[in-house]
Amino acid sequence: MTFGPSGGNVGMYVAREMLEAVPADQQEAYLRMVESISELKYQLGVEVARQLPRLIAQSDPDLVARYLTQVSEVAKLGWRSGVEVAKQLPDLYEAPDPELADNYVMIIGDATTGTAAGADSAQMVDELAQLEREIQEMEPKVKRAQELRTQLAVEDRRDEKRKKHAVELATALPPLLARLRPRHRETYLVQIQRVATADPEASLEAADTLLDLLNGERVSHDGAVEWVSRGLEVLERNKEVGRGYFRLGSKFSLDVLEELREGLALKSIARVLKLYATALSGRDIAIRSSEDVNTLEIYTADHIVLPADMRVFDEERQNFAAYKVATAQGAGRIEFGTYLFSLDDIAETVASIQSKYGA
Amino acid sequence: MGVESQRVEEFRLTKEPYYLPLGHEVELFEAAFNARLPVMLKGPTGCGKTRFVEHMSWRLGRTLITVACHEDLTASDLVGKYTLQNDATVWQDGPLTTAVKSGGIAYLDEVVEARKDTTVVIHPLTDDRRVLPIEKKGEIVQAPDDFMLVISYNPGYQSVLKDLKHSTKQRFVAIEFDYPKADLEEIILQEEAGIDADTAAKLVKIAEKVRNLRTHGLEEGVSTRLLVYAGQLMAGGVDPVEACESTICKPITDDVEMQRSIVEIIATQF
Repeated sequence: MTFGPSGGNVGMYVAREMLEAVPADQQEAYLRMVESISELKYQLGVEVARQLPRLIAQSDPDLVARYLTQVSEVAKLGWRSGVEVAKQLPDLYEAPDPELADNYVMIIGDATTGTAAGADSAQMVDELAQLEREIQEMEPKVKRAQELRTQLAVEDRRDEKRKKHAVELATALPPLLARLRPRHRETYLVQIQRVATADPEASLEAADTLLDLLNGERVSHDGAVEWVSRGLEVLERNKEVGRGYFRLGSKFSLDVLEELREGLALKSIARVLKLYATALSGRDIAIRSSEDVNTLEIYTADHIVLPADMRVFDEERQNFAAYKVATAQGAGRIEFGTYLFSLDDIAETVASIQSKYGA
Repeated sequence: MGVESQRVEEFRLTKEPYYLPLGHEVELFEAAFNARLPVMLKGPTGCGKTRFVEHMSWRLGRTLITVACHEDLTASDLVGKYTLQNDATVWQDGPLTTAVKSGGIAYLDEVVEARKDTTVVIHPLTDDRRVLPIEKKGEIVQAPDDFMLVISYNPGYQSVLKDLKHSTKQRFVAIEFDYPKADLEEIILQEEAGIDADTAAKLVKIAEKVRNLRTHGLEEGVSTRLLVYAGQLMAGGVDPVEACESTICKPITDDVEMQRSIVEIIATQF
């Protein structure tokens, strides 16, 4: 005997004694009925399987059909009510009043669903499902809107900062222009404009630095253009690093400058010269740039003042040699007090020199 | 002559090591030897401490057993240990025990590098007891009169973590070394490297200048030993600048700017 796709489950609801209570020619129909009702709910199948043999035994197919219909109706409204109705109906069918069972089913049905409220709920459920579908469809749009909102907020903040730095540039630029040598003006303005367009904050740094570079003849006009171009590349990759570049605060910036300069920068070899002077004289000697020192201080302390860059020769090696000569001269002055020389000290000075270098 | 004494004889110097006295260190060392006092040699690397001990060993006719101390050197390494030989356990004297038994000079080079437990065996040898306890054998070896303990110590290397305790330091007669004066160093270079007086004077001049950088980034100045190396390379035909860069400049610093300044100092002479 086969019972279709779910026939295998029927055995779970139908006990052997239940099946045996059904006449053999009706057992298949019985099982199909149980299978059909159990599709609504498993527990319903169990109860119907238990009650049906009693109704089938009355040999009244209409009664069986009526039972299944009424149980199904109530079960559709609420399966728990359906199970209880399936259990009670066979007894009610035997009542003297034939309408009692129908009334019972009607009352339980109404009690399970309610009336208007039930309809409203179903409507609300439908509406809710619809809204949830719509919300689900909206989710990517909501997410995108949030992204756009964040991006716009960042843009706004950036714009605010840009405007703030533009104002600062507007204040800072006129005094710088007043200090700029006229022949550098065109190059200076074009280059500052390039930086200001990219990042006004960086242009504040560039305005200061480029003024010194051009006024100090530390770069040519072409060199200035190249220095700015290389800085803009850095700025495009990283704003903070780029700003550092334009304030000459990065090694790369100094390297580029060094590469573009025709002379030799003191900054790049100051420590070597300091060690050289210290080794020569045996004293702790500082190397100072002429740009950083007040002229009155030049010969009054243990420091050697040298030009910020040396462009006497074309080759770096020769410019370094020039620095070295100046450093050795400075070390000699400090060691032997050349500028403080007087005949009163001659014996002491000669003895000191002899002790260091022999007769 | 037993095997052991044959082994000790290998540590006897048969040729006089060259040493130019810088002051009264020879007399001081001899007096300490005669008074059976231990000696501590202090000074920067390459200034001649080891050569001095070798010279004194030859001068006093004593064997010299040198131990280069390192951070894994233990008291057992100095005193001795049981070793396996042909399925038997055999006691092997350490260098210090050998020196004590043979009555030679035991020289512990850079003793501060050794582990702390070495002081346990050093202390009884450095006071009036002059004994070496061999804990593993339960023996105490009495040092003969002609045994002498010498240690070297470079104050420039010491730190809070690595320094000799006062209880150790105050058991030794200290002889302090420094780089020789210019005229003496020139003689040493001529003698050791076989170079002429002018070249030696130039090397000493370079060393003098480089040593001025000791408090400016150089841990130690250029040693006499390195100057000898430079001289030897030059005597062997190496270009003077190249010889100086390889011996005076590169070994003493990795600081590129420091190296460049030293090269410039070299260039003032060669």
